[in-house]
Amino acid sequence: MQTLPHMDLIAKERDRVLQRTARVASMSFLTVSVICLSLPGAVHTMTLLLCFPLYLIIAVMQFQVGRSRSLGWVVPAFVAGIVAILLIAGTPGGPSQAGLSAAAQLASASLACLAIVLTTTLTRRLVLLASFIGVAGITVVALEPFQKAIPTLGLLTVGWILTALIGFWISSGVPQAVRRIASIGRAHRAERQASEIEAQRRQGARLLHDTVLATLTLLAHSGVGVSADAMRQQAGDDARLLRQLRLGATPTPQASGDYSLSTPVSETVLGTTLESVKQRFGRMGLEVRWHGTGQVLLPSDVLDAFLLALAECLENVRRHSGVTDAHVTITEDDTTVRAMITDSGVGFVLDDVDSASLGFKESVVARLKEVGGQARLFSTPGSGTTVVLEVPR
Amino acid sequence: MTYAPPEENTLGVIVGGRPRHAKSATGRRLTGDDTPRLRSLGTGYVGVGAAVLVSLRAIYGLVWLVTQWDLYPNPIPAAAAWLLLVVVIAGTITAIQLMSSQLPHWMFALFLTGLASVVALDVYAIWSLDNIGEYATSAIAAGMTLLLVLTVRPSTDIIVAVSVIGAALAVVIAVNVPLTPANFAPQITALSFAVLPTVIGLVLISNFRRLVQGELDRVLAQSTLTAPRFAVGMMASGELARLDLAAEKLLDSLANGSTKLPLSPKIASTAASLATELRLHLIEGRRATWLYHAITESDLLGKSVTLTDKGSLAGLLDPVQRDGLLSTAWLFVVDTAKRGVKNSVHIMIAPSTTAVAPGFEDKVAIGISVTSTGVIRNRIDASTWQAIAKVGSYTDSTEDSSVRLDIECLVDNPADQ
Repeated sequence: MQTLPHMDLIAKERDRVLQRTARVASMSFLTVSVICLSLPGAVHTMTLLLCFPLYLIIAVMQFQVGRSRSLGWVVPAFVAGIVAILLIAGTPGGPSQAGLSAAAQLASASLACLAIVLTTTLTRRLVLLASFIGVAGITVVALEPFQKAIPTLGLLTVGWILTALIGFWISSGVPQAVRRIASIGRAHRAERQASEIEAQRRQGARLLHDTVLATLTLLAHSGVGVSADAMRQQAGDDARLLRQLRLGATPTPQASGDYSLSTPVSETVLGTTLESVKQRFGRMGLEVRWHGTGQVLLPSDVLDAFLLALAECLENVRRHSGVTDAHVTITEDDTTVRAMITDSGVGFVLDDVDSASLGFKESVVARLKEVGGQARLFSTPGSGTTVVLEVPR
Repeated sequence: MTYAPPEENTLGVIVGGRPRHAKSATGRRLTGDDTPRLRSLGTGYVGVGAAVLVSLRAIYGLVWLVTQWDLYPNPIPAAAAWLLLVVVIAGTITAIQLMSSQLPHWMFALFLTGLASVVALDVYAIWSLDNIGEYATSAIAAGMTLLLVLTVRPSTDIIVAVSVIGAALAVVIAVNVPLTPANFAPQITALSFAVLPTVIGLVLISNFRRLVQGELDRVLAQSTLTAPRFAVGMMASGELARLDLAAEKLLDSLANGSTKLPLSPKIASTAASLATELRLHLIEGRRATWLYHAITESDLLGKSVTLTDKGSLAGLLDPVQRDGLLSTAWLFVVDTAKRGVKNSVHIMIAPSTTAVAPGFEDKVAIGISVTSTGVIRNRIDASTWQAIAKVGSYTDSTEDSSVRLDIECLVDNPADQ
């Protein structure tokens, strides 16, 4: 729906180009004209003094044409121009060559350049035609005593046709450019959607990223408490998962160390994946003991969130509790699956610990909340910590 | 394989306030100045127009050559100058048509040499007449011939070239012509006709390029209109892919033993920052809406539009409302600025307290306030008001130099979806 360019906006942009071009063009030739007019002997001094205010008016109008679409700036410029030409032609003793040059620059170049903004609509074209007839007619007739009518008319016609052509040319060039840009916009939108899908795919590979993150975090602490061999094996496993992800699959870590590409099953057995978490923490020196049910079916997104939260809690135990084993008890009822993670470590005063520093809020609470679950934390210094995670079935 | 730490840190993308310009590859590729693609975006068309104009000018000049034929003491150099100019024009037009990109340096040099020779020959032909302005023909047309390369060479090249031609003609006139008030006007006229067309052409092409770039920027921002309620932005997948790859390389180098354990502090800290970045990127996109991406990805909006949308409510707007809101911001930034005043637009989106009108009970109301400083109320034109009306019903107020719009916007209740 949005692929159609906004024609009014584009018309405005197009007009802006035309207006600015017309402003610079008409004002530069006006400057040349006024220089010629000011040369000694070009016109009578009285004529010169009378012409200056008219040139000033034209200059103001031409400047305004550069910023306004209104025809109200264009027409007065033509009127003032015609009066100036009449004054030059009627100067006592007649204009010299320089005076004629000034008139020519004014009529065939400076005023003609306003034609650039008079090509876009029918009204404007009519104004263009009327202005040309007015300016050209009066110029030819007024200067007829000093120069032949045909060359004067020839020069005027060439000047006005060239500038009108510039106007037409730009007006037709802009929609072309806009159409091409619109097609680029469509391509860009497709690119955006593809990017979105790819990001979702990678973000969606949560279980994978969770183990990768855990390994990276271990490495960041120079692998404290983990044997080099276990570290190396874990790194190899994770690198393989990442490679599969890069090659377009969404791999899920499995218990035995061989990896299967994820299949679009809506429910996954909890037990096998719990085993992979246990193994991973085992390598890092935290013994995880499972209690309770091992065969729980959960929708895959709920399972992901559940396992991530669980692993995050175990990581906290490993890093902060000061003990090397943790107990995980899984229970279930009709509506809820519950995991209780208990350690007998140092514990902490809840209020003393900024929960954000444990990554608890972001990684545990937020993840569970997304799938409709919740987390509760109990701890006292010296008597360990218990976390209860709940997700709906 | 030895592990080499990634060269770039991508954290800047989401932490620390405003992200750096997150623009797609397409956007970057296309908005560079003077790129070949810009030619195909309409400047090529303008170039054809310039070719037509230069050709017309050449024909006009040739007519003059014929009428002046008897005045030349020796018309051969003048005719030779014209012959050369026609060859240069024809050759350049052909070369530009064949070439898909910029004119190579050597070709541009050849072109300039050709023009210089034309000027020299023409001046030589009329030297003894002592009135360059009156009799020069091809030398004047040569100045305008620079229009041909307007779209295929950087503007600075053309500015230098046209200045040199202008200065050369001015010097020649000063040396050759015994200046009097009587013969001064033709010299000025000749000089202005040699230089001004190219100057005007430069103004035109720079305005045209600005239009193309602005339009491109707008169209790229518009691609967000159909995005889902929350989106990750153009760079997210690329960044994630890069982080994943960096992690893969690091882990792989550990697994195959090329990186030794225990890790050196440098690699350990790389692992730490990779983990942090990856974590941030994995949660990215939960709160960012299309509007946030539209603003941050746009060169134009990014500079002057700020957004407060704590509840990510912008995501609830339908495509028509989004279009209206984006156009409003756009028009405020582009259109209504006073000269020299840097205008800024602040968009604030919050839940609305007003009751939803009868008949729209399934909708919820959100309040969008657009405050714009540096905008003149009466320069907001009809198309802007139309754009605002697409978003919802609005009231506007003015204080000091800022205009404030309060838009009441009805959207589908997210709870129903």
